[in-house]
Amino acid sequence: MKVGLCAYSAFKIYPGHGKTLVRTDGKVFTFLNGKCERSHLMKRNPRKVTWTVYYRRKHKKGLEEEQQKRRTRRTHKFQRAIVGASLSEIQAKRNMKPEVRKAQRDQAIRAAKEQKKATKAVKKAATAPKSAPKVEKAKQKIQKPQQKAAPRVGGKR
Amino acid sequence: MSALKQGIASPLRLFTKTSPLMPLVIRNFHASSCLCRLQLLSRVRCVDNSAIGKQAMAEGKPPKIIHVYNKKRRATIGDKVLMTVKGEMKKGIIVGVKEHQKHGIPRSDTNNVVLIDDNGTPLGTRINAPIPMILRGIMKEKTIAKGADYTKILSIASRFV
Repeated sequence: MKVGLCAYSAFKIYPGHGKTLVRTDGKVFTFLNGKCERSHLMKRNPRKVTWTVYYRRKHKKGLEEEQQKRRTRRTHKFQRAIVGASLSEIQAKRNMKPEVRKAQRDQAIRAAKEQKKATKAVKKAATAPKSAPKVEKAKQKIQKPQQKAAPRVGGKR
Repeated sequence: MSALKQGIASPLRLFTKTSPLMPLVIRNFHASSCLCRLQLLSRVRCVDNSAIGKQAMAEGKPPKIIHVYNKKRRATIGDKVLMTVKGEMKKGIIVGVKEHQKHGIPRSDTNNVVLIDDNGTPLGTRINAPIPMILRGIMKEKTIAKGADYTKILSIASRFV
């Protein structure tokens, strides 16, 4: 059979016990005994009445304390793909060894230096013959943007 | 020990109900439950959404019982009752009682009534208050006995307790 709970004390009500009250607004209360019923009708707040379960829960009486302490929230870290890079790309970058990374960096530095040298040489060539014809200048000028557009080696700086 | 008890009891005997010296002092009183029942001129709360019932409750003049269809003329849950509502005579069935009930039957804070006509069809379309489950059995019995169908009330009930 169904074992109900007292509306006032929250004790179990076994079959054969208890009394129900239907209030004017339609709310139904089941009481374990006359003590609970009277307390309710006297408008005593069960959270202030020491022997009820509600009081004990509110003031944390009993063994529930230990159980509550054990539970701790842990945030989980998630690895997600971003718009610019898929999950595998991110993982590859993360798992790259430091030697490899260093080699990439050196390569990038070398490439950048070479670029600079090239641009400097082009500039010198452009500025040295000032009396040179305009066509040559135009050609040289055209060359500059092409050389600048050298592909980058390595990842982000 | 028993002698002591007798010694203590003897002076108190003077004050018992049966004693000739103090006949008016009553040690044990007993409130008879039939006095708490609904009877002639009891005011009752109409719990369905019939027009007359709503108006009467809103005005502050609830239906008044003028006859109980019962051998004892004392009404409890399930009894048919004749009432005056706003100057008219209407029949009703009692659906909730303030009196302390037997085990398994809920007690309500007000004496509730549902208005019906002679055939047992309710005047309203819905019952707002929770109705005790025991009414199912009582209404079935009454239907067989009198020929009118009193179980129609149960169909308009919104909630059972």
